[in-house]
Amino acid sequence: MIVKTLLAAIVAGLVAGVFMTAAQELRVTPLILHAEQYEGEAPATGEPAAAGHEQHSSLKANAPLGALLASISPVTPAYAHEHGGEDEEGGIMFGMSRFSGTLLANLVTGAGFSLLLAGISVMIAYPITLANGALWGAFGWLAVHMLPALGLPPELPGFPAAELGDRQTWWVATVLFSAAGLYLLALRGEVISKLAGLVLIAAPHAYGAPQPLDISSNVPAVLGAEFAVAALATTLAFWIVLGVVSGFINDRFVKVA
Amino acid sequence: MATSTVSSVSLSLSDRLTAGILALMIGAFLVFGAGLANSAVLHDTAHDTRHSYGFPCH
Repeated sequence: MIVKTLLAAIVAGLVAGVFMTAAQELRVTPLILHAEQYEGEAPATGEPAAAGHEQHSSLKANAPLGALLASISPVTPAYAHEHGGEDEEGGIMFGMSRFSGTLLANLVTGAGFSLLLAGISVMIAYPITLANGALWGAFGWLAVHMLPALGLPPELPGFPAAELGDRQTWWVATVLFSAAGLYLLALRGEVISKLAGLVLIAAPHAYGAPQPLDISSNVPAVLGAEFAVAALATTLAFWIVLGVVSGFINDRFVKVA
Repeated sequence: MATSTVSSVSLSLSDRLTAGILALMIGAFLVFGAGLANSAVLHDTAHDTRHSYGFPCH
């Protein structure tokens, strides 16, 4: 039974991941590629040193931004950015193309979100069915994308941003708070629970997301706006597909959600 | 709707907890690896995905 539940979630996640890849290729990836054209021109002081490294990374996204982050960061020498001081070689694993890397990442992410959704559903004994799948998906989107995006909008390559660790911490905390808040708000009957849910949802935003010190960027703002809308729209579609497919598989094959 | 009444009968509490915790752990591991892990290779592979899901990364 356990294995069946997990398998159902993984299959739903893979289906949603394939769908997401198609949606991304249509709506999101062109904007990322467009933005990367501006990214190389980032007005960072440390750029010449980083420019050589840029060639190693097949995506060119890391070095200039790392330099930009370094130049605006108050703790320049020891900043713990993800690339290990630009020494670590990047590149797509197994020598895959950019597209297959994205597809793989979408499959993994889809399965991951699907398992999280199924895990929550099983823990609170509230099955995902075909009838309520879209709603499950919409709530997943609210918790993971829409509510965190209020503080940290989906960003293009080359956009200014605050220290990575701060943003990731805020993001993860906001996702957890939002999920708990939405559960209290939507699935609990007591007024006090609903109020507590609202407080939980609002708390990360009252605290405030980490913001960059310097918001200048070479990437046009219009592109950023288009990207934010496209990213939120495609992830909403992804989550609804995920919820509906999960519900369908649960109804049809698992019988126990 | 019929399925939800079946579910509460046939899945025991301990099964539910095991399945739920397993699913949450594996799911969190996958999402973390694809979206948040600090590895240049993982980052570059998942680059477009990370951006379009709005994961805070680089």
